[in-house]
Amino acid sequence: MPFVARVSLALSRRALVNAMRRPQLLLPLVLIPTLMLAANVGGLNRTTTLPGFPAVHGFLDFQLAPAMTQSLLFGGVAMGVAMALEIEAGFFSRLAVAPIPRVAIVLGRLGAASAIAVIQMLWFLSIGLIFGAHVKSGLPGLLVTFGIGIVAGVAFAALGVALALRARNASTVQGIFPLVFVSLFLSSAYFPRNLLTSPFDAIARYNPLSYIAEGMRDPIVNSLSAQPVLEGLAAAAGLAVLAVGLSVVTLRGRLDEA
Amino acid sequence: MSAIEVEGLEREFKGGLKAVDGIDLRVEPGEVYGFLGPNGAGKTTTVRMLVTLLRPTGGRATVAGFDVAKQPADVRRNIGVALQEAALDLLMTGREMMELQATLHGIAPRSVRGRAAELIERVGLAQAQNRRVGTYSGGMRRRLDLAMALIHEPSVLFLDEPTTGLDPLSRTTLWEEVRRLKNEGTTVFLTTQYLEEADQLADRLGIISGGRIVAEGTPAVLKAEVGRPHLDITLLDEGDGPGDLARAKQVLERFGGERPPSEGCHLSVTVERGAADIASVVRSLDDAGLSVASLELVQPTLDDVFIAKTGRHLEGGSSGDAPPEEPAEPEPAIAAP
Amino acid sequence: MSASIRTIRALVRRALNEIIRVPGGAIPGVLAPAIFLVGLSGVYGAASQLPGFPTGSFRSFIVPVGFLQAATFAGAATGVNLARDIEQGWFDRLIVCPAPRVTLLTGLVLSASLRALLPATALVAVAFALGVHWPGVDGLVIAYALTMGMAAATACWGISMALRFRTQQAAPLIQLAGLLATLFSTAYAPKALLAPWLRHIADVNPANFVMEGVRQGFVGGVTWEHSWQAVVAIAGLLIVLGTFAVRGMRRVGVAA
Repeated sequence: MPFVARVSLALSRRALVNAMRRPQLLLPLVLIPTLMLAANVGGLNRTTTLPGFPAVHGFLDFQLAPAMTQSLLFGGVAMGVAMALEIEAGFFSRLAVAPIPRVAIVLGRLGAASAIAVIQMLWFLSIGLIFGAHVKSGLPGLLVTFGIGIVAGVAFAALGVALALRARNASTVQGIFPLVFVSLFLSSAYFPRNLLTSPFDAIARYNPLSYIAEGMRDPIVNSLSAQPVLEGLAAAAGLAVLAVGLSVVTLRGRLDEA
Repeated sequence: MSAIEVEGLEREFKGGLKAVDGIDLRVEPGEVYGFLGPNGAGKTTTVRMLVTLLRPTGGRATVAGFDVAKQPADVRRNIGVALQEAALDLLMTGREMMELQATLHGIAPRSVRGRAAELIERVGLAQAQNRRVGTYSGGMRRRLDLAMALIHEPSVLFLDEPTTGLDPLSRTTLWEEVRRLKNEGTTVFLTTQYLEEADQLADRLGIISGGRIVAEGTPAVLKAEVGRPHLDITLLDEGDGPGDLARAKQVLERFGGERPPSEGCHLSVTVERGAADIASVVRSLDDAGLSVASLELVQPTLDDVFIAKTGRHLEGGSSGDAPPEEPAEPEPAIAAP
Repeated sequence: MSASIRTIRALVRRALNEIIRVPGGAIPGVLAPAIFLVGLSGVYGAASQLPGFPTGSFRSFIVPVGFLQAATFAGAATGVNLARDIEQGWFDRLIVCPAPRVTLLTGLVLSASLRALLPATALVAVAFALGVHWPGVDGLVIAYALTMGMAAATACWGISMALRFRTQQAAPLIQLAGLLATLFSTAYAPKALLAPWLRHIADVNPANFVMEGVRQGFVGGVTWEHSWQAVVAIAGLLIVLGTFAVRGMRRVGVAA
């Protein structure tokens, strides 16, 4: 196995074990979106009868995607906070003096993030199915939703890592938490784009989260169709490429400036 | 080839703060080089440049034959580092940390376990290896930190204030390990603010203050440069205090110069040959009918060296007019959008 | 001025210092309810078209969510800050001073009530700027009073948890209670439009009565029915959670 892969795997395993040993930090990633999902579905389930609302089996089917997106965004912030804490505590310096390819420091984090994203996706899809959600396109659709979600999870984690490397302190990274909600409100994650009030509908058109959420939602509420899925994948992958690039560049810049 | 070679090394931070202001030093293979100075003198900044964590803004340095600025990857392959903060993952066990470090240093997968176990045994952590590092005492964490720095048998080891905050027993244990490393031929670059540590461990010392080396040499030579041992003597009060004092001064003239203050029954005199002169001093005083209540031989200390070079005490002090080691915020953190 | 009043005043001033001296840290908390108001109404605004919605303005309907958020964030922050003080040893200094423990508790709880006024006022400013119905002076006064009461109740909860666990790691538990209380109510829709399971929870959730009490001016007018139910709910919460908090304070240093 190439050295960079070996080191990245070792660091991924370490970051994942670290996260698992602090369940009190992991739990909010799924708990808060789950509670919000329950409240949204319980409170607004009648909105599926509004003129212009797409035909769905139930509001739960519609709301699974924003819950997953929110959870993945929280995961990204959490990964950034974990990175920042390690920078503050000096563990990052230990990695920096080790003779490892620099990119492995980022890849290690992202490997752990993708594993956590799998857990997050499994959680929401499971509770969705338990509480009566209906995945219209069956197993292939589930896999598509999974795939988009994991790519998005990696993208969000990379953004968190880039911010941590730039800011180098956990409280700054923590401070972007409200932005998670803002970015989701300004998208069509929670509600159909045609029913958003102005100017939210216009802003949502340019928000990649809209396409990511719609890409994850479409296989659940419709049969698999190419456009929303491809758009979702493209948005997630594009964001991932940009974010990973940004985090690697920030890492290099941080290590060179030092 | 020297193990460490530094010429005109500088580090200037934003705002013009010079934490390191032109350092020259050379460390030979197998030597323990002590880098002694108060808080804020530039010790940690120097170490961070030599281990490639910080880029010099002036001068050059080579470690194990490789330039720290141009060949940092090669430097990292040949050094072991235990920084000021024992940068450990508190949620991992000692064994997990060692095995991770072995992997990061490219030790073959089939050798990782064995090598980790060997080092754990060496630093006396075998019993605790499967416990989380968060449960370790300060001394145990330092030992683990040292073991991790040695996992790949580096030729040069950097120890940045390794015993700060440790209890006396842990400190002694660590000193023994440093001596053992020296015997094995490892070059050790040790920064410390403790005089006794520098005195005990270092073959040669560089004393740094305000980002510059103010003195360099072996501990004995440095101390000899600034003074001779002296005897603090208290005479038994037998009724004629001033008279006794005057006679004692006369008797002791031949041993060395008088040191202030002398008052009452106390006097202090330099003794050129140190402990070798004690018996003669006591005999001479006895011959003059003077009885000694107490007698203490005081050797010059590295603090005396520091005072001679900088006018300030070393221990408990900081480089008052020097820039900080590293500014609290060397680069502005990006504000959240 | 009695010693107790002076102590309470000092504690309140210390708590408010955190906001005044670290404004960057406080801004997210102060603006969050307003952000949620704008965001939620932008996303779900069309819901007010549903038959049975008491007002055509979804924004006016969900304003009380912001008030309750202001209250529960302030209360939770008080608990989390106390947990931090316990971890860092400052609380020990407080406990060995001669002030009665109830006085110390009062100071902490009062600081939460006052702290809640900041996000509540930011919310009100944004709400009116965006055209939310004017609730009348009585409606606004009731909204503020209930918010302060809710903040006090949440603070009692947070303080109990902080004293029980003595670590900042209890923060999620402290914050979760406020989230649950706010969300599982008529936060987004009137009771008739809720899913049956949520309707049942709202029926027994004291925070829901507080929510309706705050809402009344914004969607209609102040009525005795909504007001007394809200006051009783707050009083009940304060009695129960306050008792836990007082017991927690009295136990400090007594239990091993």
